[in-house]
Amino acid sequence: MSRRLVGSAAATLAMVMVAGCGGGSQADGKIELSLGLFSDFGYDKLIEEYQASHSNIKIEQRKVKMEQHNTQLATQLAGGRGAADIVALEEGVVSQFRASKDKFVNLAEYGAKDLKDQWAGWKWNQGTADGGEFVLGLGTDMGSLGLCYRADLFAAAGLPTDRAEVAKLWPTWADYAKAADTFTAKTPNVKFVDTARNVYKAILDQTEEGYFAKDDSYIAEKNDKVKTAFDQAAALGTKQQTGALEPFSQDWNVALKQGSFATTTCPAWALALIKAGAGDAAAGKWDVTTAPGGGGNWGGSFLAVPKQGKHPKEAYELAKWLTAPEQQKRIFKETGNLPSQPKVYQDAEVQATVNEYFNKAPVGQIFATSAESLKPTYRGTKDSKVGPVFGTALTRVEQGKQSAAEAWTQALKEATDAAK
Amino acid sequence: MTVTRPETEAAPAVSVSPSKEPKRFRLSNWDAKYTPYLIIAPFFVVFGIFGLYPLIYTAWVSLHDWQLIDGDQGFIGLDNYVKLFGDANFWNALFNTLSLFVLSTVPQLLAALGLAALLDRGLRGSAFWRAGVLLPNVISVAAVALVFAQFFGRDFGIVNFLLGFVGIDPIDWRAETWASHLAVSTMVMWRWTGYNALLYLAAMQSVPKDMYESATLDGAGRWRMFWSITVPSIRPTILFTVVTSTIGGLQLFAEPALFDPAFATSNSTGGSDRQFQTLVLYMYEKGFRLFDAGYAATVAWMLFLVVLVVAVINFTLTRRIAGKG
Repeated sequence: MSRRLVGSAAATLAMVMVAGCGGGSQADGKIELSLGLFSDFGYDKLIEEYQASHSNIKIEQRKVKMEQHNTQLATQLAGGRGAADIVALEEGVVSQFRASKDKFVNLAEYGAKDLKDQWAGWKWNQGTADGGEFVLGLGTDMGSLGLCYRADLFAAAGLPTDRAEVAKLWPTWADYAKAADTFTAKTPNVKFVDTARNVYKAILDQTEEGYFAKDDSYIAEKNDKVKTAFDQAAALGTKQQTGALEPFSQDWNVALKQGSFATTTCPAWALALIKAGAGDAAAGKWDVTTAPGGGGNWGGSFLAVPKQGKHPKEAYELAKWLTAPEQQKRIFKETGNLPSQPKVYQDAEVQATVNEYFNKAPVGQIFATSAESLKPTYRGTKDSKVGPVFGTALTRVEQGKQSAAEAWTQALKEATDAAK
Repeated sequence: MTVTRPETEAAPAVSVSPSKEPKRFRLSNWDAKYTPYLIIAPFFVVFGIFGLYPLIYTAWVSLHDWQLIDGDQGFIGLDNYVKLFGDANFWNALFNTLSLFVLSTVPQLLAALGLAALLDRGLRGSAFWRAGVLLPNVISVAAVALVFAQFFGRDFGIVNFLLGFVGIDPIDWRAETWASHLAVSTMVMWRWTGYNALLYLAAMQSVPKDMYESATLDGAGRWRMFWSITVPSIRPTILFTVVTSTIGGLQLFAEPALFDPAFATSNSTGGSDRQFQTLVLYMYEKGFRLFDAGYAATVAWMLFLVVLVVAVINFTLTRRIAGKG
């Protein structure tokens, strides 16, 4: 059998198999659009509304876990079929997909450039390529940093519980480490922070350049900021002040429920995860305050349109609507995902928003202030390959397998390999 | 009936040489010759499409600098293989794979043999017990792995809780190499012991009972009968299970992947220092996390060769051991 024949036979079979989940036009004449998402974008109600006002459009949401979403998207782009009409790209991987931008629709063709002023400048830039000529994705939320803490555990350790005073406790990460020492001395059985990895990520997200310089050259080994962030986070691990938990995992949820750690870094989108994990029993015990070291951005996403979709125009219209200011405001009120548009987060109503679960913390004000002062980190094309290496290195320190120095040396070697 | 019967009976008598066979007979001859091939053809067609073609294509990909999304970046010959042989992570994954394979397969098959022998002794409600041992195999591997991952939790796991009663300090099951291998092997054993036991049981029931009777008359004990009659009699089945367990064991993926809490939430490497990263997990990391499809294809081909070699070794070894009995 010739290779071509085998190939076409395989393709036919594959087509038969994916036919069940394929998008495209339905028999009833409606245009079916699929949305490939992870976690909660808060689109459920908005989609119903959009379908009601656009009678020819039918929308299907596909939600999977983020890591799985990225892997799936990569294979779908490689295979040329199967991707949703609109896909979410998380800030950590957007630079990686930007390198394969020929697989995506340039949204500028549909007039996306006119929308530019809606977003914070850096957010818009992250979603574009070729000096702004190629618009890859429209920004959804952003992840300006805050710090969440358990007020009751702080009280037990003799630390202040009021969020303004807690903020005064840690202007810098060094002060945060001091607070950790005080806390551990008083209540040694409770961990001060869930994981060193998130502390590391947060510190690094407060710098403008991390593993890569703005010209995309690899600088991790000579960038003091990377080393400083690593050392500060590793020190917490060495002193056993961290829970050594995998962030956002099942174990992390259990630890939240058991109240076995007192602080965690929280970008705006993490509030919903903490609430879900800790449950109603911990309502009012968690609170939010300013993160040490100033503003920073961790996470937030973009909506992009893969080229393989059948209805790029309709997909763009939907993405444009979902990311428009009015919708971002509504999503914030519903899920707490922070709008990436200054006009929206400066809006009086957004600023006045409090989160009942987090002891009525003025989350609108806290996160918007943090958003104002943030310096977004430049993400290199290979950022998503290099970053995790340092995360696992910190886990080794927390598990007591390696000293901070050993872990750093190994991580640097692995990172250099990954950056090649 | 009475009319046709003499005709058909006469047919062989009339035929002298094949060339003079009646047409109908020649057709049935052709039928007998080629129909079997036709009947097994679907398997080989499907195997060709889903087995052979990917295998050859993978070999082709492994000879290229191939990025998952952007595709072929040029032919590089055996560069990927050269890199692989100098890759400490590859050898680590190979070690983990073999270690997990031995740790899970050997006790598993021995336990299955014992279990089958017990089931063969005519227990009350035998159908219930026989169906029962297969249950773990029916449950989805993801569910099994998730439950076991909870059992082996560091802080709130039931295994550490029970160990606490006998004065053993909590073990961080994911941090240590041996502990993680033990935990993952337990999962594999739990899933496959019953399945293999049923295969053994089926074979045991076809062993002629008079052999046991005469052995009893000769004064042989149960233990002696088991090793001298049962095991040699079910040798083909043992060979079969050894080969299938080898293939399955070396391709271990879901259990170690889901045992790592990092798998679903961030980028898993099978433990913080690759303590339980198997070859397939390493291939996954390279191909689907780092998007280096060429290198992943190289790992896949090495895995194929390793499975081939280990399967042949096992086959010969088992044949010898079981043959001696």
